Amino acid sequence: MDNKPDINVAKEILRLRLSQLFVNEKYKAGQFKIPIHLALGHEAIAVAVDFTMRENDLLACTHRNIHYNLARAKALKPILDEYLLKKEGLAGARLGSMNLANPEKNLIYTSSILGNNLPVATGLALGQKAKDIKGLVYVTTGDGAIEEGSFYESLLFMKSNSLAVLVIIENNDWSMHTRIHERRSAIDFSKLAASLGLGYEKLDGNDTYHYIDCIRKIRERALKDATATVLEVNINTLGGWNVKNPDGTERYMHLHAGQASKTIITDWPELEHSTNDPVFVLQKYFTEDTLKALSSEIFKNIKEEIGEI
Amino acid sequence: MKYIEYINELIVKNTEATEQLVLFGENIAAGSCISGLTKNLKVGKGGLIINTPNSENTHAGLGLGMMLNGVSSVLFMKQQDFLLLGIDQLVNTYNFIRINKPRASFTIVFVIVDSGYQGLQSSINNFGDFCSMARIPGFAITNQADAKEIINSHLVSPGFRIIGVSQRLFGQPLIEVETLKANNDKTLFQYKSGANATIACFNLSFPNGLELHNKLKEKGIDSSLFSVNAVTPIDWSDIIKDVEKTKNLVVIDDSKSENFSSDNFLVHAYQKCEMKNTIVIKRDMSGDWLSPSSDLLQINSDEIVNILSRQK
Repeated sequence: MDNKPDINVAKEILRLRLSQLFVNEKYKAGQFKIPIHLALGHEAIAVAVDFTMRENDLLACTHRNIHYNLARAKALKPILDEYLLKKEGLAGARLGSMNLANPEKNLIYTSSILGNNLPVATGLALGQKAKDIKGLVYVTTGDGAIEEGSFYESLLFMKSNSLAVLVIIENNDWSMHTRIHERRSAIDFSKLAASLGLGYEKLDGNDTYHYIDCIRKIRERALKDATATVLEVNINTLGGWNVKNPDGTERYMHLHAGQASKTIITDWPELEHSTNDPVFVLQKYFTEDTLKALSSEIFKNIKEEIGEI
Repeated sequence: MKYIEYINELIVKNTEATEQLVLFGENIAAGSCISGLTKNLKVGKGGLIINTPNSENTHAGLGLGMMLNGVSSVLFMKQQDFLLLGIDQLVNTYNFIRINKPRASFTIVFVIVDSGYQGLQSSINNFGDFCSMARIPGFAITNQADAKEIINSHLVSPGFRIIGVSQRLFGQPLIEVETLKANNDKTLFQYKSGANATIACFNLSFPNGLELHNKLKEKGIDSSLFSVNAVTPIDWSDIIKDVEKTKNLVVIDDSKSENFSSDNFLVHAYQKCEMKNTIVIKRDMSGDWLSPSSDLLQINSDEIVNILSRQK
């Protein structure tokens, strides 16, 4: 990382978090007809992707795409209007949440079907090759979606045809309401990638500045060598809650889709005082007072943007 | 010239003339090249020819992904059944893409395995079923005239579609016929005009219809002959007008589906025409359709001749 951390990175983390909390409040108020998958705790990788993407790069995401859409659009209102199915929405109320894309900002495709976007991203990358364009295709997936055969198929095709792709596995341990150990055996992605001759990197700890440095290096390498890299990112989706089992024990309810009913909005949006929360990790670089002042300003700006002031 | 040789010739002519076109599929430039379908493939400037791994879901997504990136492609597939693995892409990704009219082209050309004795895997060899799942434009090729119209118009053209070719016809001499009329979409062709009967062929049954037309002619019965090469919504008025004239309708549909596009046509015909005879020839699916068999559509031409002779 450069010696002086870019304050804009911190601003973006706070904006993505606060924007989602505003969406959550409207969810709690019953304002949405469509399902929305919040990505509280996923902000670091989305901001890192956004800061590293260049003009010829393309992005394809999953149904959990709010963080990438917020990062690319640099605004909440067009996304919120889309969720409210208003004509002023980012896609004119035609795509809703799970398929929301923003081609003008190079977020080309998102899909509600697990694993579906991986072949499409592979096609985007083959298109770059056919057009002789030096641009990286970023594709996001999850620890559940990689269980689909299309994950393996796509990696194989990327390698076989020397495509420059960054495959980001957002590993939050959950597929709806089952953890990895409850549904399958563990997968060592480093070995899987190596077996196909692909690069592999792992990110953990929600340090956005470190994430940006890492992805910049992968990007340079991918374009230079025309190769794909699997990037596993450990994530803790925040906003879940405990529910009681019939036997009186408690079970954690992961926030898959819908509202984070126990989460409230304030102008300081830290949800967990640990490295599970990218907002907390910002305090490694800035004082709490600085961050709280920034957050308060962003909170006010968002309220103005969506007409709540 | 054989059916498959002519189709191959048309494909190569079109792909060679197109710049930045990606041709891909399993064994498309190796071995028999899908029994001759993709023999001697050529692409124009900036094009690619890719022998792919065996990954049909990814293939369907690849073509649609390239479309999103403004690059045109053609996917060749040895069997229609293989595309079952790509249905998600055909429905969900295609729905995403068609919201905005794409400038690039993606065409899947597959072989409909109607040659018989394929057993379980041929049970879904109904072209229309694939197309109707997501209202995908689809075109089945049966002869020289429709091959020329469909491939020249649709192989590389903005949008997505499926083109089906018949394995049963691969080694057969090309049926050389001339069209009297084709609709703008190249989904409905008229080959003959007659005063006594109207023959409407669906799916890949045109050769059966032509044979029946010729037998009727030998008996002095002049029939009109139509072939419906697609399952997407069609304006039936050309056939309806003909049925209103002849009042005798023979429908031939060799599909294995429970969703026949010929049923859609028949509803219109019953609503709008006063018919003396309506003869519907479909497959008998009441037997053991899971075990290997000849898969041939049985047509009792003599009986049809007798019925129509009485009405002449």
